[in-house]
Amino acid sequence: MALRPSVHRPSRRSTELLAAHRMTEPEFVPGQARKRVGFTRARRALAFVLVCLALGTGTAVAVDVVANPSVPDVALKRATAWAVFSMRLRTWSDGSPTTVFVLADSSPVHAEFSKTVLDTFPYQLRRAWDRLVFSGTGQAPIEVKSLAEMRDRIHTTPGAVGYLPAGLLDKGIRIVRVE
Amino acid sequence: MNAHIRRFGLVALPLLALMAANSRAEIDWSRPLDQLGLKLPDTVQIHGFASQSYLRSTANNFFGYTQNMGSLDFTEMGINGSWRPIPQLQTSLQVVYRRAGQTDNQDLRIDFGFLDYSFLSDARQTVGVRLGRVVNPYGLYNDTRDMPFTRPSILLPQSIYFDITRNTTLSSDGIQVYGEQRTDFGDFQLQVNGGYARTEDPSWKSVLSARSVSGEPSWVGRLMYEWQGGRVRLGATSATMNIRYQPEPIVLSGLIGQNVFSVFPFGLPQNVTATSLHFSPVLFSAQINEENWSLTSEYAIRYSEFEGPGSPVPNVTGESYYVQGTYRVTSDVEGFLRYDVLYADRSDRNGKKTSAIYAAQGVDVPAYDNFAKDLGVGLRWDVTPYFMLRGEYHYINGTGWISPNENRGETSQHWSLFGVSASLRF
Repeated sequence: MALRPSVHRPSRRSTELLAAHRMTEPEFVPGQARKRVGFTRARRALAFVLVCLALGTGTAVAVDVVANPSVPDVALKRATAWAVFSMRLRTWSDGSPTTVFVLADSSPVHAEFSKTVLDTFPYQLRRAWDRLVFSGTGQAPIEVKSLAEMRDRIHTTPGAVGYLPAGLLDKGIRIVRVE
Repeated sequence: MNAHIRRFGLVALPLLALMAANSRAEIDWSRPLDQLGLKLPDTVQIHGFASQSYLRSTANNFFGYTQNMGSLDFTEMGINGSWRPIPQLQTSLQVVYRRAGQTDNQDLRIDFGFLDYSFLSDARQTVGVRLGRVVNPYGLYNDTRDMPFTRPSILLPQSIYFDITRNTTLSSDGIQVYGEQRTDFGDFQLQVNGGYARTEDPSWKSVLSARSVSGEPSWVGRLMYEWQGGRVRLGATSATMNIRYQPEPIVLSGLIGQNVFSVFPFGLPQNVTATSLHFSPVLFSAQINEENWSLTSEYAIRYSEFEGPGSPVPNVTGESYYVQGTYRVTSDVEGFLRYDVLYADRSDRNGKKTSAIYAAQGVDVPAYDNFAKDLGVGLRWDVTPYFMLRGEYHYINGTGWISPNENRGETSQHWSLFGVSASLRF
């Protein structure tokens, strides 16, 4: 899974990965999850170190916020991104409704997104959603089963927002910068 | 086994077993209705939970006859629906079935049900109003206290979240005005409720020694500050809950004083027809959340004022606090350690003065009825995202937060409470 390329162009490897996900394979099978987490974490850690060494910066983001092209906002402040993904802000800047897609709490991509993009932890997001749902003051985001489903639902749902590893971007989906 | 357990077991235990068995399989509990072939629009959500606990105590009872063999009397089930047709408008309803020994009526109840409209919502702020049975904004855990997965332990810190009067604390019938302000240095949330307090908790009658209890117009407000997605959370809550009650003409028959309110109801003249309790807690909350650990503390000072002809003890000021540490060993397993303290009267922390006042009236109320110090430790294991197991142990000095309904005989100052629970969600 990919370091952030300077230009977002699907590589052959990531296209294959996405194709594999399209074959209805769930992203993580219980029991296999732990092994994969470890593997992915180790690779990420190595990749992170290499990028830091190479660029002399500490900002290697492997996961991007992505949205349906109907979403008017091309960039969000981090606090606004938190408000959208924690389900407190339910509209885009033009007043149109947001629809938020996320992966399972245990997904490494979700963990990476939580930490690097929102600067929080998966358990904090879960608590924020539970606080809304079980006090009746809000709703939970829609949980998708795989990266392929994430990609497809964002592509087909107006106002949709989610996240994808940088290598898995495709036509019909737009990156939203978080700054 | 009593009839309740049998009846419950017939319905709920096979359901729990089925859900537990399936929660590892391919059924997707994040979309339960899809399993039934029902496709809801994205704007409608249905969630729910079910939980069964086993509690056992060395002395005194809490949520059932927990002495000796222990008790299965603590059962919680809830279903929750919401519909958000447009971003500004949401309607939500949560129906709960709850059993908790003699502290609960063991029935279905609406814990909240309201319309929520936001006049203004943008990246910076949200302002709106909620109408109906609205959750009371009170401390860190009250809003979702129904739902076992959102609690830090099987039993909430009782010094602040009295479970024997949980309906009153949970929600009220009226209106809530709310505002949120998002800034570069954190989010501020203000919620203020005005409405009638719920009084269906059966412990009210025995605690107040009353024939009937009814809720009067009350208010509760909370200001929360959250920094960096909840990494730091600070809150201040203030409330005045007004409750009107008709005292029992026979003073203190069989009553054993149990908490802050029990100080009052003796020596009432026979001709008193109605009395009011004004309960005004002020609560400060603080929480730090890091990747592997959280630290939580809340402090409350509770003013109780009794009003009515012949009130012999017009005021009492109680005090509560707890300090709680949580450590996440893995993403599925976490442990907690908590010290939780309640003083019914902060000017009489060992309870001896209060006990003496009762003794002068010829009523035996042990000094340890006026405080409770609970050292609790426990583990939580999220077996799957939809199935959780918990176990915990409390070493308790004092009986300040147990219900008179369940403890009419002799009580003990030093006791332990052990609990395990299995909980499901979708």
